[in-house]
Amino acid sequence: MDTLFLARLQFAATTSIHFLFVAVTLGLVTLLVGVQTAGFITGKPVYERLTRFWGQLYVINYVLGIATGLVMEFQFGLNWSGLSRYVGNVFGAPLAVETLLAFVLESTFLGMWIFGWHQLRKGVHLALLWGVALTAYASAFWVMVGNAWLQHPVGYEIRDGVAHLTDFGAMLTNPTLGFAFGHVIAASLVTGGMLMAAVSAYHLIRRTPDFAFFRKSLRIGLLTTAVAVVLLIGFGFAQFGPTGELQPTKFGGGPDRDALVAEWTAKFGPGDYVPPTLSNVGLGFMILIGMGLFFGLLIVPLLWRDWLIRLRFPLWLVLLALPFPFVAVILGWIAREVGRQPWAVYGLLPVEKAVSPVGAGLMLTSLIGFTLLLGTLAVTNWVLLARHAARGAHDPALGRPPAPDTDTRPQPVFA
Amino acid sequence: MELVWYALFGLFLATYLVLGGYDYGVGLLLARGATEERRRAALTALGPFFLGNEVWLVAAAGTLLGAFPTLEGELLSGFYPAVFGALAGVVLVTAGVQLRSRPRAGSARTGWDRVVVAGSVLAALGWGALLGGLLQGLPLHADRHVDGVGHLFTPFVAAVALAMLALVAVQGATFLTLRLPAAGAASLGRVARRLVPVALAAVAVATVLGLLSDRVRAAVARPAVAVLLPLLLVAALLMARAALGRARSGVAFTATSAALALPVVLVGVALWPRVLVSTVDPTASLTVADGAASGPTLSLLGWLVLPLVPALLGFQAMCWWVFRGRTDGRAPVYW
Repeated sequence: MDTLFLARLQFAATTSIHFLFVAVTLGLVTLLVGVQTAGFITGKPVYERLTRFWGQLYVINYVLGIATGLVMEFQFGLNWSGLSRYVGNVFGAPLAVETLLAFVLESTFLGMWIFGWHQLRKGVHLALLWGVALTAYASAFWVMVGNAWLQHPVGYEIRDGVAHLTDFGAMLTNPTLGFAFGHVIAASLVTGGMLMAAVSAYHLIRRTPDFAFFRKSLRIGLLTTAVAVVLLIGFGFAQFGPTGELQPTKFGGGPDRDALVAEWTAKFGPGDYVPPTLSNVGLGFMILIGMGLFFGLLIVPLLWRDWLIRLRFPLWLVLLALPFPFVAVILGWIAREVGRQPWAVYGLLPVEKAVSPVGAGLMLTSLIGFTLLLGTLAVTNWVLLARHAARGAHDPALGRPPAPDTDTRPQPVFA
Repeated sequence: MELVWYALFGLFLATYLVLGGYDYGVGLLLARGATEERRRAALTALGPFFLGNEVWLVAAAGTLLGAFPTLEGELLSGFYPAVFGALAGVVLVTAGVQLRSRPRAGSARTGWDRVVVAGSVLAALGWGALLGGLLQGLPLHADRHVDGVGHLFTPFVAAVALAMLALVAVQGATFLTLRLPAAGAASLGRVARRLVPVALAAVAVATVLGLLSDRVRAAVARPAVAVLLPLLLVAALLMARAALGRARSGVAFTATSAALALPVVLVGVALWPRVLVSTVDPTASLTVADGAASGPTLSLLGWLVLPLVPALLGFQAMCWWVFRGRTDGRAPVYW
């Protein structure tokens, strides 16, 4: 096995695992902003309970997700030093903006939000969550600016064999950016909404005493999913036009592809310029899942008079559908990223020039190490989420009021 | 413009070592055979700052990626094992701290605490090895490939890594004297005082090995700085010890923080204008200007990012202010 293949495999593994966390983070934070704001305006205690219970799941997922994001960020330098060398002047900028203006603030706000429940005024506490959500969206946006540039490089010129930035505005209006960003956000909302609906369905199936709480969660989750899935499908299909035009090799044959392959062969020498079929097979399945979720949501009218809960079997449908959004987001990224092969930057920098000149043994060690570490994190995340979700909402540790006595040693209240 | 960004990168990295340093220091101290209550109290003291500390690593890496893309690629891939170890450590600490309070069983908690300890050791050794590796240069060729990873396994790099571990432990203990309830703080103050001589010895060994190493002498462009700054570091540690003796936690913490920031200044200034020094081909060395992004990128980032750096610092300061003072029974517990 050569270094390039191992580096690609590592990128696929870390990116996929990372995005499983990202989808839940982006989806849940949006719902949390909704419930905490509703609580702030109406003053109803149920919203505070909703915020604490779902916030708990959100925080577990967020903190473990950071670890995967760190590996993602360092991976560019560790495994893809050629990418930094040839196109870093352009590609590095959106990622730098993402870390400095979005992620740094997001984590700082979240730390204060977690520990600030009974210490800060309610308005300030709510503003912190808004800050977390807005910076999370900004983060997703800048990462997508970077990714869109890899898909379709714009706003640069090549001097001395290195890309230099000429037009930052062009990066922001990249035709492969807008719909894809909308698609990612909608996919995250579907994932977050489905998670909320499925956990609620579980409790309603088990007839947990907290009926009103989970009924409300189910409604919020399902309605969010219903709206988001329409956007998801819309943004998804909208991408076929620009992508087919700008990346003719991505979705199979046609004269455009043949012409482009001939052009590349003339420019870069003979080679295999067609991506593996894997990407398109995955895309088919993803579309199938999207459509399945869309038709599955025909059960939403059953929310009327709680028929959905009274009939019970729709609850099972909601619960069993939970894995599908996760499978779909991975397949979607595979289609976008594997479909870019053999290019690190489409039509500009082939992957073999982008990979770091390190030995295969080192790359294999790093692949095994990081994949095991991040894979374990993903599994641990799911076990923890499932346990905390199953435990119910009677007393989550997040936002628990401090004990009235003032003994000097804080006891472990989280158990 | 490169200089501004290089200074900013140094600032972020030093801030990370100072703040992340006490995260890992507190992590190391979980190994102190302490009772569950003591570990609980230590993590509660760390609590609100934990998420905000690690962001500086991400900020430093982001600055590297945006403003020094060439340097980023060659630095990280050239010191692959050190970066890999440090990152694995950071991941273990981040996950371990979050996970340790989730299971109900005490044994599982002890298990996760061990993960945190191991992660803290790895992170401190890894970043130390990276700084040491920078000071001694690497076998970088003109075609930008580096010969293997053997260049990292030298006594000097090992000594710097161990010195970083000792400094981080001192930093963690000193941070706890600042945050724990008065009773707990006193015993931690004694621990910190006992750790200072260890750190002094480690720094001295690293300095002597550096002076004896041909590669370090060849890489360093400003020997005066390379000797003066370790002396300052020693002075900071002695000051910390004196302050700890008088229970002046604030002064002690300032001094140990300076001790963690100084190595970054040392590496930056001693090697300037170079940053990656090749031990095999002098023309292959990378200067800060070579490693930087081109003019338009730096000025774009300057317009976008620099005006907001005060806001970043401001929100962090807000976090420190809101959660200032010692923890008590009413301190929020989450980790």
